[in-house]
This record gives sequence, structure tokens and C-alpha cells, in this order.
Amino acid sequence: MTELLGYVLSGLVTGAIFALMASGLTLSYSATGVFNFAHGAVGFLAALLFFELTSGLGWPVWAAGPVTILGAAPALGYALHRLMFRGLATAGETAQIVATIGLAIALPALGLWTVDVLVETFGADLPKVTEGAAARGLGPRPVHSWHPFGGVGIDSDQLTTFALAVLAAGALWAVMRRTPLGLRMRATVDRRALATLRGVDADAASAQAWMLGTMLAGLAGVLAVPALGLDSGAFTVLMFASATAAVFGRLHSIPVTFAAGLALGVVQNLVAGYADFAEKVTGFRTAVPAILLFGGLLVLGRARGRAAGTIAEDAPPPDYLADLPRLRRALPWGLSVAALLVWTFTLGDDYWVGLVAQGLVLALIFCSFVVVTGIGGMVNLAQASFAALAALAAGLAFDKGLPFPLAVLIGVLAAVAAGILVALPALRLGGRILALATLALALLADQVLFQIDAFSNGTVGWKLPAFSLGVADTNDVRVRVVLLLALIGLVGLLIRNLERSASGRAILAVRSAPTAAPSVGISATRAKLTLFGLASGIAGLGGVLYATFNGQITATDLPALTGFVWLAVVVLQGVRRVGGAVLGGLVMALFPEVLDNVTDSPYVGTILFGLGGMILARHPDGVLAQLAERRYRRRKRRDRLAAAERAVSGTPEPARTHAGATETAAAKVGAAEGERAGSEAVLRLEGVVAGYGDVTVLRGVDLAVPAGSVVALLGANGAGKSTACAVAGGTLRPTAGRVLLDGRDVTARSAFQRARDGLYLAPEGRGVFPSLTVEDNLTVWLPSAADRRQVYERLPRLAERRGVPAGALSGGEQQILALAPALVRPPRVLVADEPSLGLAPLVVAQVFEMFGELRDRGVALLVVEEKASEVLALADTVAFMGNGRLSWTGPRAEVDEDRLTSAYLGLAASAPDPAPAAAGNAPEGEQ
Amino acid sequence: MTTSTTLRASVLAVAAALLAACATSNDASSGGDGAAGVTGDSVKVGGVLTVTSATGYSTGGAELGAKARFARANAEGGVHGRKIEYIGAEDDGMTPDKGAAAARRLVQKEKVFAVLPVSAPQFGGAEFLEQQKVPWIGWATGPFWCGKASAFGFNGCLAPKPGQKTQTWWGNQVAAQLGGAKGRTFWLQATDSTASKYAIQTIGKSFTAAGFTEAGSSAALPSQAPPQDWSPYVNKIMKSAGGKAPDVVVSVMAGGKFNTGLYAALKKAGYKGLITDATSYDPKAIADPQARQALDGVYAAPQFEPYESDLPEVAKMKADVQAAGGASAVLDQHAAIGYWSADVFLKMLEKAGKDLTRDSFLKAAGTFSYENKGFGRIQFPAGKTESNGCGALVRLENGTFKVAQHLKCYDNTTL
Repeated sequence: MTELLGYVLSGLVTGAIFALMASGLTLSYSATGVFNFAHGAVGFLAALLFFELTSGLGWPVWAAGPVTILGAAPALGYALHRLMFRGLATAGETAQIVATIGLAIALPALGLWTVDVLVETFGADLPKVTEGAAARGLGPRPVHSWHPFGGVGIDSDQLTTFALAVLAAGALWAVMRRTPLGLRMRATVDRRALATLRGVDADAASAQAWMLGTMLAGLAGVLAVPALGLDSGAFTVLMFASATAAVFGRLHSIPVTFAAGLALGVVQNLVAGYADFAEKVTGFRTAVPAILLFGGLLVLGRARGRAAGTIAEDAPPPDYLADLPRLRRALPWGLSVAALLVWTFTLGDDYWVGLVAQGLVLALIFCSFVVVTGIGGMVNLAQASFAALAALAAGLAFDKGLPFPLAVLIGVLAAVAAGILVALPALRLGGRILALATLALALLADQVLFQIDAFSNGTVGWKLPAFSLGVADTNDVRVRVVLLLALIGLVGLLIRNLERSASGRAILAVRSAPTAAPSVGISATRAKLTLFGLASGIAGLGGVLYATFNGQITATDLPALTGFVWLAVVVLQGVRRVGGAVLGGLVMALFPEVLDNVTDSPYVGTILFGLGGMILARHPDGVLAQLAERRYRRRKRRDRLAAAERAVSGTPEPARTHAGATETAAAKVGAAEGERAGSEAVLRLEGVVAGYGDVTVLRGVDLAVPAGSVVALLGANGAGKSTACAVAGGTLRPTAGRVLLDGRDVTARSAFQRARDGLYLAPEGRGVFPSLTVEDNLTVWLPSAADRRQVYERLPRLAERRGVPAGALSGGEQQILALAPALVRPPRVLVADEPSLGLAPLVVAQVFEMFGELRDRGVALLVVEEKASEVLALADTVAFMGNGRLSWTGPRAEVDEDRLTSAYLGLAASAPDPAPAAAGNAPEGEQ
Repeated sequence: MTTSTTLRASVLAVAAALLAACATSNDASSGGDGAAGVTGDSVKVGGVLTVTSATGYSTGGAELGAKARFARANAEGGVHGRKIEYIGAEDDGMTPDKGAAAARRLVQKEKVFAVLPVSAPQFGGAEFLEQQKVPWIGWATGPFWCGKASAFGFNGCLAPKPGQKTQTWWGNQVAAQLGGAKGRTFWLQATDSTASKYAIQTIGKSFTAAGFTEAGSSAALPSQAPPQDWSPYVNKIMKSAGGKAPDVVVSVMAGGKFNTGLYAALKKAGYKGLITDATSYDPKAIADPQARQALDGVYAAPQFEPYESDLPEVAKMKADVQAAGGASAVLDQHAAIGYWSADVFLKMLEKAGKDLTRDSFLKAAGTFSYENKGFGRIQFPAGKTESNGCGALVRLENGTFKVAQHLKCYDNTTL
């Protein structure tokens, strides 16, 4: 019994560190949407700094601890936010995952390199990090032990760790729940766009979340270092284990995450203490967190299946080479291959040709990323495991006496089978959850599958001999280069064909709209299985060749972490094309050689690889796409010049598909016209042109909303009403035109600044933070308790439910809650986008009554509705919108049924009344 | 998948043609220029070491040892009139692919004659060197050293296959320390990995062959990072010998964090028996007061005569290393390993004679016998499949290492 108690107690201490790490992961995930694979690396860096301060400079713990945890860690968090995560917030999740993986690799190397440089170049008297360089923790020295419960011992280190972890978690909880800072962060997490509309600077909130997250990582790092040692690998392992706890907290709830972390520590201890049966399976105990992680993802991933299907965030970039002839597109690659072959057979010596062959093997493996990530949009961190699996299976088969070709086939088939097995969870999981699941599987392969002696032949591995191609054998590196070029060419053809085939289109359909695809008869299941199977097959073939060229394969040749580096390298070059894979492979093989001439430090290369993430933050589609885009721009400029010349000589300009919104500067004329009308308007849009990407939605809108009046903006679905609201609110920046608030140009001001200026936008749907309580929802706009009391006095129904999450309220209550703060602290302008949508008539009446009251108090109201009936009763001015333009604007009195009908049916242009309005519509801008 | 059938057919056809055309060829291509790296008055060599690694484990000290031994050889006029041109060691970072790249670079770019010292637990260049018939010499730890024509461990091979010979010196030396093994029990602690489990077999054999009784063994420790809590593991050890603690605890774990963690926990639990391992003879490991406390009284088992010995061979080695590395040179296990690897290589060069090619070297080294009190003895071809059978015990007492048992060679036993 005391033994069990002992396991539980000391398990709680281990668990406290898991819990701290996991809380940090959860915090940064929920506050920024980025699952931070570098969390462990940050912990390591903090531990390293703490070690150098205490052991190196002899600082006392009371000074070194706060400097590390409260000073350096948040500074690092802020720097990372500025340099990377801010740019990544809107990038696709592949880029996000890769960037944090890059950091996870680069940060420890950066730390160790810094120590090296300080010691060797500047002669600093600091201890270098070698094995046994044991850092102390925060606890007192020497360590005291107690035996409070008979045989159960607790020492001062454990006590310190547990106490600090609980304190930190408590403080985190208090900050999140009890402070305005926490409220802002929670609001940003819950609905980032809405938070900005309520005056929260979401960017600042993200920065604060990163700083808080790195502080937690730093604390966990300093607490864990006495047990782990200064071993960056061990910290990454710690991070993976903590990810399990974070997943059990659904990457959302910090208390649940914390509890799951504690439980994980206890479970690990119990398995270690009692699960003797597990000793037969090598690696089982090591793999406990990975098994739990995978299980947790399967169980919990399903529950959030709807939210998790987020691969659509990865919108493909425009194909900048689309307008080039096919031959011209292929030309650079054709020339490069020809040059490479000539070099291989003439100038190249064994060493360099061998390196190129090595790069091409990697390129072949990397082609699998093009299939699964580039085309399929799914991040697979297990690719190295597929390659290793195939090689081991082939080696085993060959060793058993099967002919070599059959062994290769068996290897590839084994990888395909594994790929399809991995794809099964992928069918349900999307995005980051899938990435985590493949991570868990990769770790399981390393820790359990490859530890099976019969499969991997212990640490000896299998021999795979060179094979002959009739005329020559693969001991000759030149043969390898030719063979690999041929194989990569074949794979390239296969990939191109896949993209253009029916199944390729099906895959793209599934990728961009997972929910919609099945409704048009596309099987997402088949598409995903095809992709995973094909990708694993390619990786498997590459793995077998990799092993053959090395002469052998052992279980440790291609560890899981290698797969992460591979992904990072490919994504950096461009994961959507085979060219990126080839470039990535060559970079991977040749880069260390080039670097070798520059520096002896093993860290510099790692740091540079990792810093690729920062490039990615600016160009999420990789180097190749970046080059293509630059060439495209140059070509466009040339074309425009040529077009200008032709225009002079009278030749008509040929239509271009890429004529972007920028070129539609049509509405400038309208802006000038708007000057005279409604000069006392509180909110004015002048000649606004806006849209999304290449699609222009608003084509020159002028609108004025005077104080103390209601302007109703009516129009059919898709007319551009919500876009107009977004422009007014500041969530969408117009490409031309101005937005004025109280006569001041606020076009350049962001949404949260406009909110602070007095613009209150109730967006379409419900303008509430669903997982925040009613009280919290009100507090975002009404920090003063007295103000909130006023709301409750007026709306006793809300008072009753102040502790309930807003998402649990009825639709009507939510709408009332969304508008209630405006009653107590009236804004200058209230913009309501479809406030009556989906509400009962009684509630609609109540909402419009609120609008009336606000108007009487001098608020300028812009009410957008698709259904005209109710709002017409309230409106002072009515504006009809169609096709991105205001087709008619005038006083309520002039609206009759004919006008309504023609507005909705898009007949406005032919409407008989060309009356000039309060805000005139822009003359047609087509040239 | 409904990709065009013609394309699929053509891909299949090409693949089939490739597969049909390829027959395996086990013949390694010749090592190219058999006299690469050799001139009339020099022999060029370079090594591969794990200088850096994620865990901090480093064999980098071997660089200094090799340099020291070569400096002495060159000062004495070289071998057959050839001086040793030692270009230093590459770092494999404990990753196989970096090790393979390093081996290729040394052979194909630097054009060395032989690769040494090699001391890397996960060396990935073994097959390449074997294929190219480039001799490589160093501290044989992993199975990739064993049975290769080109590989020569100064200590033989530590990973024999079942039926081959395995060492007994460790068990015998501990028995000698305790004044006999009869009636005494030992516990083997490993980590949860294939390599570690394999070590349980060979080391276990060493102790049973010496007369100890096995109380039990465990390979339960997660292999990737030391546990933060040792109590479940230590509890098992403390009750393993019929409810009592065993007389000897043998750790076959690599990694200072694992060992110091285990020992500290054992001592906390009141363990009074003998603790021994293969890696703790390291001045860096005891730099930290916490670790020094944990390692106090522990018997480390190096495969060479310890620096603390007063044998003339050791005095000469210390003097050489200090001459090459300055007074502050770290006298660690790896420096000695580098030194003795270089020493064995020089003896082989001597035997290979004046007409030096890789072929003549491999021929000379293939049947080779050499004894030196510094590391015992080595014989080939026996050393291709079994340990040289020699080792010593060093005990840490109050912060300084003391020789507990001088280097001694024992007969190997069958695994």
C-alpha cells in the first residue's frame, strides 16, 4: 500500500511538469491556433540559461530563476511572436507546423552555439554542455528528504517542483479568469474577429499569450532539468508526452489539461511499477505517452471532428506560371537534368556524384510529401518511419532468401499498407490533429515496432546489397544518379497525372471543402486512402533505395525526428511541386558539405535549417513559388509596358485573367462626388472598392450614416452587404476609397482601434463569444461593474444567466446579449449585420426597439437586412445594394413595392427613377 | 484510383523491366586506389567521433589521444619512414547518416588511407568502409564492428552472436574486488531498447561465468529520457534477491543522467552493495557536486589501465596527452581510447611493411597479435568476433578516482 502511495505521490510530481508543459501548449494553441512543437525547445533554452547563470556565473537561484523565467523567457516569446508567429497566424497550417518544428530544431542548437561562441571566441568562463553537466533545479541544495508516510519518501526537489507547478497553474488560471488581460486573451481565442470588433488588439493579445506560454515552458524547463539533464532530445520527448495531456484537455481547457498532466505522471509510474507483462514488449513502457496520445486523438478527435476538418485553410497559391507554354515551363528542369548528367559522366568525382545521388534518393522520398501534403493538404510526420519500415521489410525478406526484386516489392507494399493504416484515423482527423496522430505513430514505430528483434534484427539491422541493372550495378554512383532521375521522372509523371485525373480533382474537392465533397458524390475516404497509399509507396521505394545505397538498414538509421527535418526542408523549397522535392533533397545532401567550408560548428547548419521557418512566415509556399511569383511580377510589368505602347499605337489590349482588383481603380470618380452629400454623417464610406483576393465584391460604394438616424442597407444574397459591414468595421481593408468616422479618415486604422473610436459592429450570426460567460461577454465592452449592473437591471433574463456560457443561450438571448452593451455605453455608430436573422418575431421586435432607443440617443445606425419588412418600419434612409454597388438610396418615404422588387431582382439599373440620393452611387467604372 | 490506364501500365512496365533487369551483386567494388593517402613519407588518416550529441554524450576526447600518440610516433621518425598525417576527426552527432557522410568525405574527398579513431555508438559509415575496403580502427562498441574485414577494435568486438565468445573480465574483476563471487547476487539494469536488452545478455553472461547468481534484470526504463521518478525501478531492485537487495548492481545504461539518477535513488533507498558500470570513469561526469555524490563509491570498468596507475605505459600515455593538449588536457576515458587505437594502428602499419597499400595493410592486420600493458592485448582474426577480454576497475572515492583492480585479461566464454 505504501508502495502504491509512493508511486502516486511521486507520479504527481512528474505529472506536475507534464501539466505545466501541457498548459503552455494549450495556452499557445488556443490563443494563437499554432500547436507549438518548439515548446520543449523553449524549455531547454530556459534550462540552459539557468544552468549557465547558476553553474557558470555563480548566481544564486533567487536571482537566476526570476531572470530566466520572468525575464528571458517572455522576451523570447515576444521575439518569436514578432519574427514568426505573427506572420504565420494567417498562413496555412502546414507552414505553421513546419515553422515550429524548425524552431524546435534550431532553438537548442542556437543556445548551444551561443555558449560555444562565448567560450571559444570570447573566452567566457562558462561551462560547456557535456554529458553530466547537470543543472540544479529551483529547489534548495543540499536536498532534504522526508518520510511522512512510513516508507514513502519525498525530497525537497520534488516538493519544490510540485508546489511551483501548482502555483503557476493557479496563477495562470487567475490571470486568465480574473484579469482584463486574461479576458482579452480568452475573447481573442474564442472569436478573434469579434474580439477585434470589440476593441481588443488581437495581435497584442497573441503576443501576450506567447509570452505567457514561453514563461510556462521556461518554468517547466527549469523544474525538469535536474531530472532530465541538459539534453535537448529529452526535452522534446517531454514535450511529446505533455502533448498527450494537452490533447486530453482538448487543447482548450487549462484545468483539464493540468489534471491530465498529473494523471499521466501517475499512470507512467504505475505502468513502471506494476505492468511487468509489458517488459516482454520492448519499448512498450517508453511508448506509454505515445500510445495514450494516439488513443486520445482517436477518441477526442472524433468529438471535435467538425471543427478539426480545417485543411481548407491551405488555399493553394495562384499558379504564376499558368500563362507560360508547357515547353517553357519544363525548360529549366530539362536543362538542369541534362547539365547534371553531363557533369556526372565527365567532371564529377565519386564523392560529389555520390552526394548528388544521396540527394536524389532523398528527393525521391520527398516526392511523397508532394503527394500527401502538397496535393492532399495533410501533414504527415511519419514519412521517415514509412521509409524505414519499407527498408526493414525489404531487408528481412531478402535475408529470408527471397529474390531482391521481390524483396523490394514487399518493402514497398509494406509501406503502402502502413500508409493506408495511418490514413484510417486521417479519415476522421484533420489538420493539426492529424499531424499529431502521425507524430504519435512515428514515435510508436521507433519505440515499439522497430524494437522487435525479428523485424529489425536487433541493432545489427539487415544488409541490402547493390543490385545490377544489366550493364552496371548500383555500386557505381553514376548508375544511381541515372536510375534515380528516371524514377523521379516517373513519379513526377504519376503526380501530374494524379492531379489532372478524376481522382485528383476529387482530392482537391475534398481538400477545399471536406463537408461539401461527399454531397456531390466524391468519396473523401477513397481520395485520402489513395493519397496516403501512394505517398507511402513512394517513400517506401525511396527508403529501400536509401538502404541499398548505404548497404544496410538498421532500426536507428531513419529515426522519427528525421522525418520532421525532411518535412521542414521540403516545405521550405515548396511542397506543391516535384521540383521542390528535388531541390529539397539536393539541399539536404549538399548543404552540410557547403557549410563545412565555412564553419566547424555542428550547430550552424541546424540553426539555418530552423530559421527557414522565419522565411516561411513571409512566403508560406516556399522558395520555388516565391521565385515564380517574382518572375510573374516582372513579366506582368513588361506586359503592361508593352500594352501601354500598343494602346498608343491603337492596338486593343488583350484580356488578361489576372487583371486584379488593383487595376479596377474605377471608383475614384465617385469619391469626389460623395464630398458634398451628408457632411454631418458620423460614418461615411467613400468610393469603397473591396474584395477577397482576385475577386472584387464592392465596386465603388458611397454611403453616409448621420447621427441619430437609421440607414437600412437592403439587398439580395451576395450583393456585398456583409463586405460593406466588414469594410466599415475595419476587418477588411478596401483596395480603394476611404472610410470616415466623425469626418476623420480611419481607413488605415484597424478594427480594434475603430472599436475604441466608438464603432460597434454586430456581425452576422451572433455577436457573442460562445465559450465566455454572459458576464465575461459584457465585460469585454463594459469593464465597469456598475455598467454591467445597469444591463442586468434592464434585462433581468441576462442577470439570471450571468454565469452561463453565452453559447448555451437561445438565439434571441444571444442577439440581445450582443447588443445590450451598446445600450449602456452607446457607441458613435452601430453597424448591425442581419440582426433579425433566424430570430422569433417577438425577439426581432425587441431588437428593433433597442435600435430605436439608440437612435433617439443620437447613435448613427447602419442596419443591414436581407428581408426588408421589419427594418423598413424603423429606417430613416434606405439604400439598395446589388452587384457591389448601391443601386438606389433615398428616404424611407420613397420606397414602394416596385422599387423593392426591382432592387431585389437586380432591375435597378433599368429602374425609372434616377433620383440623386443622399449618397450617390458611383458612375459605372468600366473603361 | 482512375488515373489513365496507359500511364499506369507504362509505369508498371518500366518498373517490371527494372526489377527484372536487376540482379543483386554482392561483390563490393574494389576500393579504388589501394594506395590512397600513402606517399613515400606520409600516411594520411582521419577519424569519426561523436563529438556532439543531443544527450551531451561525447567521445570527442579520442581526438586528443590519437593526436598525442601520432605526435610521439612522428617524433620517433614515423613508421617505415612515413610520418602520420592526422587530419583530425569528423563529428557524427550520434546520427547514422552524418556518420555515413563523414566516412564518405574522409575516403572520397580527403582521400585518407585509413579511418581512425572511430568511436561512435551509432556509426553509420561501417558498410561504406567495408565496401571500399578502407581499414578503420577504434573503440568497438556496437555490433557493426563485428565480423567485418575492414574493422579493427582495439578491444575486439563487444557484440558477439550466440555461440561466439563473450567477455568475462567484468564479472571476474568485480568478483576479485569482493573476494569471490560465490553466493553473491547481481542485478542488471538496462533501458527499454533492443541495444540495451542485448547488453543484458552479454554482461549477464560475464557475471554468471564469474560465479555470481543473477537476482534479476530489468530493461524497463524508458530509453529516450531518464525518468523523473526512480522509485518504481529502485523498489524492484531492493527486493530482487529473495526480498533483499542484491550484492551487486550492474548498470549497462549509457548516459550519465541515467546512471547518476539510478545511483542517487538507490542510495536514497538505502542500498549498501557494490555498484558498477562501464561509463562513469569520466572526470567531466563528476564535475557536478550532485553527480559526484551519486557516483561516490561506484566502480567504473574501463578497458584500459587507468590513468591513476603507476605503470610506465600509462605514465608515457599521460605525458604524451599532456604534451599534445597542454597541461589542462582532460584525461578522460576517450583520450585513452584514441591513444590506444592509434597505438594499435601504428603496430599494424609496422607489420604491413614498406610496400603499403590497403590490401597489404588488411592482410597484415587480419592475422595480428599485440600485447601492451596499457590496454592488454589484441589478436585478429579472434578480435573480429570476440572481446580482447581485458578490463580494469576504478573506484570514485571522495571525488578522486582510485585504481581498484588493475587491468587484467580473462578468458572469454561462450555466449
